[in-house]
Amino acid sequence: MKQAASTRIVLVALQILLAIFVLIPLFWMLSVSLKPPTEPFSIPARLWPQEPTMSNYVTAFRPEFRTYFLNSIIVSGSSVVITVSLALLAAYSFARGTLLVLTGLMSLVVLAQMFPHSAIIIPIYKLMRDADLLNTHLSLIIAYVSVTLPVAIWMLRGFLLKLPVSLEEAAAIDGAGPVRVFFDIVVPLARPGVIATAVYVLIVTWQEFLFALSFTSTKEMRTLPVGLNDFIGQYGIRYGELMASSVMVSLPVIAVFFFLQRYFVAGLTAGAVKG
Amino acid sequence: MTVKDRWLLWVFLAPTLLLMGLMLFYPMVGTVIDSFHDTSFINPQPRFVGWAVYEKIWTSRQFPEVVWNSVVWTLGVVLLQNILGFFAAMLLNQKLPMQGVTRALVLLPFVLPGVVTAILWRFMYDPQLGLINSLLISAGILDESAAWLASSNTAMAAVIFVAVWKGFPFSMLIYLAALQNVDKSQLEAATIDGAGAWRRLIDVTLPSIREVILVNIVLTLILTFNYFDIVWVLTRGGPQNATHIFPTKIFETGFGQFRFGEAAVYGVFSILILAMLVALYVIVQQGARNRRPTA
Repeated sequence: MKQAASTRIVLVALQILLAIFVLIPLFWMLSVSLKPPTEPFSIPARLWPQEPTMSNYVTAFRPEFRTYFLNSIIVSGSSVVITVSLALLAAYSFARGTLLVLTGLMSLVVLAQMFPHSAIIIPIYKLMRDADLLNTHLSLIIAYVSVTLPVAIWMLRGFLLKLPVSLEEAAAIDGAGPVRVFFDIVVPLARPGVIATAVYVLIVTWQEFLFALSFTSTKEMRTLPVGLNDFIGQYGIRYGELMASSVMVSLPVIAVFFFLQRYFVAGLTAGAVKG
Repeated sequence: MTVKDRWLLWVFLAPTLLLMGLMLFYPMVGTVIDSFHDTSFINPQPRFVGWAVYEKIWTSRQFPEVVWNSVVWTLGVVLLQNILGFFAAMLLNQKLPMQGVTRALVLLPFVLPGVVTAILWRFMYDPQLGLINSLLISAGILDESAAWLASSNTAMAAVIFVAVWKGFPFSMLIYLAALQNVDKSQLEAATIDGAGAWRRLIDVTLPSIREVILVNIVLTLILTFNYFDIVWVLTRGGPQNATHIFPTKIFETGFGQFRFGEAAVYGVFSILILAMLVALYVIVQQGARNRRPTA
């Protein structure tokens, strides 16, 4: 549709305004993380440090931060692998099975994704306590897999429903058993859906705070979000280090997201728009 | 899949059903059971007390505060997030220069971890060093620094603002996908009939994405009601309970004071409220499904 030049200028201006609204806090986070500890804050604020330096990053990357980082990688990485595997198996059953009871179970899956974590966390905490799993990676992995499964199944089921069944049927006629059909035909075809789901699980678990805060009690087991929250009190107003830590916590997910964005956006919006 | 192979469906489903049953559905029941028991730090052994804990919470001064805060918080975030998300989607659906870059950048807050977002905005709001006060003072809007998060008049608005900043890109993504599915020929026909941009929006675009808007609003209602990390890191429910919503109250009562019974009562109330929202979601979805074949 053709637009008048004046309309276009207004629209471009609005677009720039939108970008500024989003970017100013992020830009400032980066700016303060590069500010030398000696350079004071001033009013009006200086938007970019006079002499940018990485020293805050060096100081912030202390041993305990490295421990948190490692814990986050272990917990998130395991959750991604386990959730996506279990969800693919379940989604296949939901997408290909025709039993009425499966429709009912799928409704329960959709329902479960809306459960408030804060309302179910105490019984889960008691389960973990009774199983002697509190303050372990395993307790967080089990919790994360459970809470991410519903959406993961929903995303993958939507994806599998769009795949043609004819390939699976042809393989079955050629004499491939159902297990082989699944691993040789379905799994390779499902790759874009698997990537989208993996990105979702990573984004959710990398930032998960409530379970990590409740289930871990020692520094050795803290994940990054909880560790970062602890820093607030510990470092008072040493915002340079706090912002440097924040940037380091955010970079991995931001990088993954931007490399795999198109899979994720397609996977998320397809389901959400089609219902 | 043949009838003979049906056993495989159940093998594939077994781990998921087991895990979800134990870790999601059983805890829902567990919370209801806990709500009839009294526990405290001194008496960690749960004791059945019937409706006593409900009565205690129901008559407490904080309960109506938490309900009211939750309503303000949820409605505020959902309305602003959807309006801004829709506006941004409309904007990014025009064919303007730098569209791809802008779209990628606008998604950043959505990917930024919640705790990072909260810490960043605590800093933005800081009375001495924060950028917001600095900008407002420089612009002559404020005379002196305001403690946005520490004053009960502004804390809730400040927290809502952060949640909208982080949440609107998600709504934008959904609306953008819906806008790209709007029938181009209908829009062109409307233009030929002399409809301006505003009329096209009201008469063609909005009716054809109605269902997406409704479903998206109810979905964000549910997600926002359940929100924890941003509120907890920004204010811990303070000052003077001004930002305590159900999730923060449950966490503080349960894990801060080890009063699991009281936390469970708040949990049951939040489950009831959510059940109503979920019912709304089902109705809206059902309505969308019924209308689709004729549309």
